[in-house]
Amino acid sequence: MSYMSSKFDSYEDRRKRPAKGKSGKSMMHESAEKHVTGDAIYVDDMAELAGTLHVAVGQSTKAHANIISMDLSAVRLADGVIDVVMIDDIPGETDIGPVFKGDPLFADGKVEFIGQPLFAVAAHSFEQAKRAVKLAKVEYQVLPAILEVKDALKENFFVRPTHSMQKGDFAAAIKKAPNTLSGELYVKGQEHFYLEGQVSYVVPTEDRGMKVFTSSQHPTEVQKLIAEVLDIPINYVQVEVRRMGGGFGGKETQAAPWACMASLLAHRLRCPIKIRLSRADDMVMTGKRHDFYNTYTIGFDDSGKLMGADIMVAGKCGYSPDLSDAIVDRAMFHSDNAYNMQDTRVVGHRCKTHTVSNTAFRGFGGPQGTVIAEYIIDDVARAVGRDPLDIRKENLYQDGDKTHYGQLIENYHMKELIEQLEHECEYRKRRDEITVFNNANVYKKRGIALTPVKFGISFTVQHLNQAGALVHIYTDGSVHLNHGGTEMGQGLFTKVAQVVANEFDIDLDMVQVSSTNTEKVPNTSPTAASSGTDLNGKAAQNACIILKGRLIDFACEKWVIKEDAVRFENNHVVITKNDNEEWIGFGPFVEMAYQNRVSLSTTGFYKTPKIHYDRATATGRPFFYYALGAACSEVEIDTLTGEYEMLRTDIIQDVGKSLNPVIDIGQIEGAYVQGMGWLTTEELNWDDNGRLASNAPATYKIPTAADMPKIFNTSLFHRANAEDTIYNSKAVGEPPLMLGMAAWLALRDAAASVGNYKVNPPLDTPATPERVLNAVMYCQENS
Amino acid sequence: MIQFSINGQLVKEDKIDPNWTVLRYLRTKIALPATKEGCAGGDCGACSILMVEQDDSGVVSFQAMNACIALLGSIDGKSIITVEGLSTEGQLHPVQTAMVEHHGSQCGFCTPGIVASLAALYQNKIANKSGSAVTEHDIYQALSGNLCRCTGYRPIIEAAKAMGQYPGPSATAAISATPVVQFDPIAQQECRDGHLKASIDYEGRKLFVPESEDQLKLILKQHPNATLWAGGTDLGLEITQMFKQFEIIICLHKIKTLTEVTETEHAMKFGAMVSYTDSETHLAKHFPSFAMLIDRIAAVQIRNLGTLGGNVANASPIGDTPPVFMALEARVELSSSEGVREVAIDDFFTGYKQTAMNKGEYLSALIVPKLLSNQHLHVFKVSKRKEDDISAVLMAVRLDNKDGKIANARIACGGMAATPLRAEKTEASLNGADFALESFERAAQQIKHDYSPILDVRATPEYRLNVASNLIIKTGLQLFSPEVLVAQTNSVQGGH
Repeated sequence: MSYMSSKFDSYEDRRKRPAKGKSGKSMMHESAEKHVTGDAIYVDDMAELAGTLHVAVGQSTKAHANIISMDLSAVRLADGVIDVVMIDDIPGETDIGPVFKGDPLFADGKVEFIGQPLFAVAAHSFEQAKRAVKLAKVEYQVLPAILEVKDALKENFFVRPTHSMQKGDFAAAIKKAPNTLSGELYVKGQEHFYLEGQVSYVVPTEDRGMKVFTSSQHPTEVQKLIAEVLDIPINYVQVEVRRMGGGFGGKETQAAPWACMASLLAHRLRCPIKIRLSRADDMVMTGKRHDFYNTYTIGFDDSGKLMGADIMVAGKCGYSPDLSDAIVDRAMFHSDNAYNMQDTRVVGHRCKTHTVSNTAFRGFGGPQGTVIAEYIIDDVARAVGRDPLDIRKENLYQDGDKTHYGQLIENYHMKELIEQLEHECEYRKRRDEITVFNNANVYKKRGIALTPVKFGISFTVQHLNQAGALVHIYTDGSVHLNHGGTEMGQGLFTKVAQVVANEFDIDLDMVQVSSTNTEKVPNTSPTAASSGTDLNGKAAQNACIILKGRLIDFACEKWVIKEDAVRFENNHVVITKNDNEEWIGFGPFVEMAYQNRVSLSTTGFYKTPKIHYDRATATGRPFFYYALGAACSEVEIDTLTGEYEMLRTDIIQDVGKSLNPVIDIGQIEGAYVQGMGWLTTEELNWDDNGRLASNAPATYKIPTAADMPKIFNTSLFHRANAEDTIYNSKAVGEPPLMLGMAAWLALRDAAASVGNYKVNPPLDTPATPERVLNAVMYCQENS
Repeated sequence: MIQFSINGQLVKEDKIDPNWTVLRYLRTKIALPATKEGCAGGDCGACSILMVEQDDSGVVSFQAMNACIALLGSIDGKSIITVEGLSTEGQLHPVQTAMVEHHGSQCGFCTPGIVASLAALYQNKIANKSGSAVTEHDIYQALSGNLCRCTGYRPIIEAAKAMGQYPGPSATAAISATPVVQFDPIAQQECRDGHLKASIDYEGRKLFVPESEDQLKLILKQHPNATLWAGGTDLGLEITQMFKQFEIIICLHKIKTLTEVTETEHAMKFGAMVSYTDSETHLAKHFPSFAMLIDRIAAVQIRNLGTLGGNVANASPIGDTPPVFMALEARVELSSSEGVREVAIDDFFTGYKQTAMNKGEYLSALIVPKLLSNQHLHVFKVSKRKEDDISAVLMAVRLDNKDGKIANARIACGGMAATPLRAEKTEASLNGADFALESFERAAQQIKHDYSPILDVRATPEYRLNVASNLIIKTGLQLFSPEVLVAQTNSVQGGH
């Protein structure tokens, strides 16, 4: 197709122009053409091998119960059923908890949430397997269930110990402050709703190993867990991920159970097994973003200057630890958002509930911490009768401040970023227009909010901050690139390929990206924490530098020149000797190197410097740097129904020196809308028995095209990262999700206008039309 | 035997379970995996394909539909195009080029569905040069049933706006070359001759595709428990979500008389198989506020399949049209081999998903009295999300202005009870009262005595009552000071 043609440019032509698609250029996603034609293959699209069986999973119907008996005889006899497996059929490890134990692959005598896997059925078709599962007869002895965070808090029912962070004497600071406010905020969780559900296709190998195609952000963990479950060495399991149809954190740990079940069946039956969750099963059986119940007490002066804070964040972890320890930590790390609250205590609880185990979701607890900081600012602003933006600006961290976990604030240009946005979106003028509007209208009210985001970049689990890459150069000069990161739509493969193209100064389409594969790069970290490009880009660069070193050594030897007489430019290797330049096409040069027995393949490695965190003292530098951003949103509400329109959003996001501006902007816009969805229309509802009621897109409403702000401007904050990241870029995956707060607080601003901004209407999230109407009615009744 | 065409290929099938959906067929039987399964419930649009129709004058039109809940039998005699049929090896369809150039895909999983939805718009508005420009409204409507979790939609909208600027589709791509095919006349004749025989009989499960109401009546007489398949947009879920297998299915799409809309001086008659999409222009003529509701019912893929008759016969408490038909005092026409009868819609819904329809009967038409010159109709839908959402509250109000007094008020709500239900106390408060805003403000107080709604995934009872009450006030405002309901300023402008 047209986009492939530059591959065939002659070297003569390629010499005359810069190499195409290097870092910093807006290149399209490496699979863009395959996406639109349907040529991009997802796991469920792969041609099935003969004899492939399909799996459905039997699920608990009780939130908390002992299993008295499980009669699966009718399941086994059902049409098309070949095998049924339960916990006792597992040859190896039965618990697949990723960090801490607590996640049995199948229930072990006890169930702790509705939807917990009890058994798995393999049948000739997916439909047969699904029908068979319904024939199970399970008797339960029902036990009392804890379904809510507040109940868990009362009972001190936790999956992990409480942690706290403290800076100074918060109690004294609050006491000393002329004003104090206390409040609470309940933020509901969020369903990932990756468009491609959980899926794995497993083919047994001749040596009793497994070849696994899966949709996972963490192939190494899938590999390790399958090995443990089957009790075989890790090197018998190969896991491959070409692409995911969306991940958002929902395929970090949540892809593994299904891959393990399929492997177990493939191991027993010696045939290929496909497991694909139906949407409803996916929504019921896999973890989501944690709900958080947050409380605060804040001290402040009459101008709204914050003087001390006491914050509690309590995450709804579900029945097992999963990643909740790190998630609640990250909520704690971000409960200051952009602000110096002075002396501060933050306490974080990991509440256990008899619900599905909540998990990673873009922002990883950060968003649930950030919201309390913004809610505090909002409350304080109305308490002192000032525009919330002024309170925000006046309480920003300054360089040299320290966070409540002791990290030094450096290169913090938040004020400049906010002021640029404030100016470009004409915040003040529009605030005045809104005042006029609201005075002229009874049934329509408008609101505006400009909110910043400061997001810490690095895994807070230190050892995960490493990555590997593998680069081969073939004798025609084409390059094969592999690394530990996975592609879920975020453009990682494109960006890392651009790094490689940049290093050799060759056209981007000379670099072929390839599936993430545990046989090529081992022991990888999950593609998570926004770190994909930071880590894998650096690892790939490292590999390129090694290969370039070899090529340069070869040139020095052959031409008898110094290193600085060799350079890579416009798809060529340029040799300078006696003031003459010899331009050799990259391909012919590589061929020459090969003929001279130069190794043209290497791995690269990277580990993030400078980071550390001491849990005992709750201090350190958990983050290599912070990504900054801000959004301003304007909304209009209907005071009779609470319905609303998103009128306009403006965003400026700091991505350092962008590796690919269009991909970065795509991440920012997508994250904003996803964050807005989390805080507005996306509502997880559970019934009194602990059953998820919002278990389909019919009942769980993510934004549609019409929910996008009518005017939507996004721009990048052009400033190189002061830290030595890949080409001084900054991570972009998660930080802009929190920009969605602007939409939520604009709704609150609109509701508050009904009470002339004198009262703070409670507005838990998601701010559905119902909650917005309640906020309006609160203002009507309290002013 | 059934026959249909996919990307210009004629396909005949008779050895297949009648419960198979189009999507299952595409993905697992004939290896066309571009069309994706995202939810198998008609709510995400990843499975969107194009249904092609050629009218008598040869004009070809395209409708997006959800393959996931469409029964294979329901495309008997039809042509469909999937994303595989849009491009050739050397040339992308302009929608595809626009999506690539505007970075409209990230993970790519929703992308084929989005491409299909936009391709329908492109083919109807640009390729056939109908002369009407693609408006922003067209674009939002076309995309209302396609969820994307990655992009935030902005680049997709931009691609849609730009798609007209690219070279047209390849002449050899199926969408240009062979959107529709000639069906095998012998097979078709066989189908006709054997109309009382099942088109498919697979392990005892049967599919009938009658071509006339007479045939339908005979089949129903023989199989009174058969499942009638209209648009199937709710029934399809029983197959894809509950994994139910229907024993006998009768697909109704080939019965021409059920798709007719006729008009008398005082009433309109909608055949049961008139789709939401096809009803819109007719409704717009006589019931503009009802027509506006149609845009908020599900999404375009569903509106192209779903039917008015199906929405009523399904008798769901959250169907959007039944309350409106109630307010409009519609009559339901029920037919069988025994004859035809009419039932007032108030008497039609007898309980949760229960109706006055007898075994062997089918709903053949809805008869809707036109509004009198002194009658007013107001329709409101309130839901969490604007597009493609189930109502928390659906309210329809019809009333007369009789010499300055309110008369014949008929208020019906969906989402407020186990069936669509009238608000009799509120109506009573309005009837005889002055035709003035105060009467509505007073009547709004009665809503809480008319309904005891439940808590469900969409809303709390309190919200439902508050909103229903406010909608009565809103009705008054729409009548007496509509300007206060419209934002009093210029729309927001900006950009840098």
